[in-house]
Amino acid sequence: MNTATKVTIASILIIAALIYFLLPRQDFENDMATSEPLIFYCAAGIKPPVEKVAKEFEENYGIKIQLQYGGSGTLLSNLQVTNNADLYLAGDFSYLKIAREKGLVAEIFPLAIMKPVMAVKKGNPLKISSIDDLYKKNLKVALGNPEAASIGKQTKKILQKVGKWEKLKKQVEKNGVFKPTVPEIANDIKIGSVDAGIIWDATANQYPEIEAIHIPIFDAEPKQITLGVLKSSKQPTNALRFSCYLSAKDKGLLAFKTFGYEPVDGDKWAMRPEVVLFSGGLNRVAIEKTLEDFQKREGVSILTTYNGCGILVGEMRAGQRPDAYFACDKSYLEDINNLFLDEATISETDIVLLTQKGNPKNIMTLKDLTKPGIKIAVANAKYSALGGLTNKLLKEAGIYEAVQKNITYGDAPTADYLTVRVKTGREDVAILYLANTIYVGDELDVIPINHPAAKAVQPIAIGKSSEYKYLMGRLISAIQSDSSKQQFESTGFRWRVETEK
Amino acid sequence: MKNRILDSANYKSPSDFPFYVGLILIGGIYIFFIVGLLLADTTYTTVQDFKNIFSSREIRFAIRLSLFSCSLTALLSIWVAVPIGYLMSRFDFPGKSFLDAVLDIPIVLPPLVIGLSLLIFFQTSFGKVIESIFPITYALPSVILAQFMVACAFAVRVMRSTFEQIDQRQEQVALTLGASRSQSFWLVALPAARHGVLAAGTIAWARALGEFGPILLFSGATRMKTEVLPTTVYLEMSTGNIEAAVAVSLIMVTAAILVLVLVRSFGGGRLHL
Repeated sequence: MNTATKVTIASILIIAALIYFLLPRQDFENDMATSEPLIFYCAAGIKPPVEKVAKEFEENYGIKIQLQYGGSGTLLSNLQVTNNADLYLAGDFSYLKIAREKGLVAEIFPLAIMKPVMAVKKGNPLKISSIDDLYKKNLKVALGNPEAASIGKQTKKILQKVGKWEKLKKQVEKNGVFKPTVPEIANDIKIGSVDAGIIWDATANQYPEIEAIHIPIFDAEPKQITLGVLKSSKQPTNALRFSCYLSAKDKGLLAFKTFGYEPVDGDKWAMRPEVVLFSGGLNRVAIEKTLEDFQKREGVSILTTYNGCGILVGEMRAGQRPDAYFACDKSYLEDINNLFLDEATISETDIVLLTQKGNPKNIMTLKDLTKPGIKIAVANAKYSALGGLTNKLLKEAGIYEAVQKNITYGDAPTADYLTVRVKTGREDVAILYLANTIYVGDELDVIPINHPAAKAVQPIAIGKSSEYKYLMGRLISAIQSDSSKQQFESTGFRWRVETEK
Repeated sequence: MKNRILDSANYKSPSDFPFYVGLILIGGIYIFFIVGLLLADTTYTTVQDFKNIFSSREIRFAIRLSLFSCSLTALLSIWVAVPIGYLMSRFDFPGKSFLDAVLDIPIVLPPLVIGLSLLIFFQTSFGKVIESIFPITYALPSVILAQFMVACAFAVRVMRSTFEQIDQRQEQVALTLGASRSQSFWLVALPAARHGVLAAGTIAWARALGEFGPILLFSGATRMKTEVLPTTVYLEMSTGNIEAAVAVSLIMVTAAILVLVLVRSFGGGRLHL
């Protein structure tokens, strides 16, 4: 055997020995046992609660989570390069906003609030009480890099407003230090290499050696720890499920509280939440597909009740509490808006006249409805928004009394009945929404009504008593999305969502 | 040849005392500082912290992964450094000085840049092809690759100067006696360079153990997957658990000293390849 062979064999034996004796095997077993892990980019300062909750979630549901830590800004640039992560948690909502503008983020989950504080050694030996003390006493100060750390960005923003940034920055450059993450600043204070620093209140709460000094200008501008589900996620349902767990008030947010954060109120945890949506029958065709996609992506069940809005309002008066309500017209939210949070306007549609093909009775305006011999079908005002809006329209046009004698059918709870009546020739004309006429096609004629009251505006609102306000908020975002917009516009609605709220 | 100074009859050689004092002072200050650092570390940790560390599944994993990846990196580095070192010391060819500069790039570049470059490389279309066959980024191989990129450059330097210091005459004699180039390498040059090989392996091992910047970027700080000991220190620091960070650091110091002493005493005796 020559030396070359001997050396090669020896090397292979060494590698085999290394693999056998040293290679940690845990990793591979776990990898095989479960599916692909969720890759979670997490701001380093938020590690304690996230790590705890992730472990808990893994144990309970067998979905593995790989945590990668770094500064919020650093992680944002990393995830743009790699484009393989499922979740991104930043110390500050502004990073999520940038990520969303770059098209990287789908859903957003607020988790907790943090405020900057001035941090000093326990007992405050140097008797520091204000920002001015920092330069008056010529102290050594540690701040976050405004470019890399969200604490730095926030410190700069607030201090610039009160004209103290330049002065403090000079002082830090002279005898202090800029650090890229919050824990590094806190560590400096703990070790004693600086006299004071500006960090998050939550971080200060995690260090028994550190005392937090609250400053009014800082308290006035809290930051929101925000989690985003990334568009690059290959398993969005699992990613969303973990996000729900982390942001649940009875699960993840408890850990945030334990570690000294001020959590948002959050949703209740359920592996597969069931939520109730009340929707006017009018909106069904426009939202059906969005609801289906949403349920699949989020792994939730939406129990949707489509009905006349008058009936829905009646049920809610009687004590029904849906998680959200998508009304046919804003007037059908007004009386019960004490049950709901702020509404979001989604769309509007016109009220039109529907006649037989070729409009044989030559009905061109509202006035024509009062002509003798015309048979009219309208919706029931007690049950449906359409009926109520029809009455309002006729009253505003000043023909309500005159039309009554021509109404031969006024009991329709929803618009479908009206279409059938006209189609079968029992009535000459029906008053209904343009959105109702989408499937009528060429068999009937649609006559527009030129009157400002001839329209319905559709708002959606989240129930105040809902246990799933954030989930419903994401549903509303889905209804406000561009793909949903196409659904609305192709079914006779005009889009009323204002682009950035 | 006789020394002129010693020739003069009444010359008295000056005292060596200041020379030794100088040596001891300059060396002593540095050594005192090294020991001082370690002693200062021990004031920041307790036996309990060590117990906590060894009871942590994640940190035990990191210890094993560090030992595994460093040893593998050292072995790979030797395999690459020996031929490169031999080539650079024995042959002249056009572009040699350029190649020389290229070999020093991993040493000159900031570690973070190496990590970033690795990350970007595996996102190019060529890199993605490799990834699709053999996943590297954020997985275990990335740790070894990140360590190897830097450690190997140091091993190459050591091997090159080793071969340069070995007199070529023996090899030339072997060639004139009818040995092939390959035989003269395996039977003459390499056995003569065995201490250099050991030194190259040791320095690669030590570099790999301390490697952090490229690993953080290219492998991430994923617990139970790509967490090596420097990552542990970073993660513990990031939650303010300085006590644990220091304890892990001291484990690294102990491991490094053990390996260096062991290999050196082993290599000081008879080491045949």
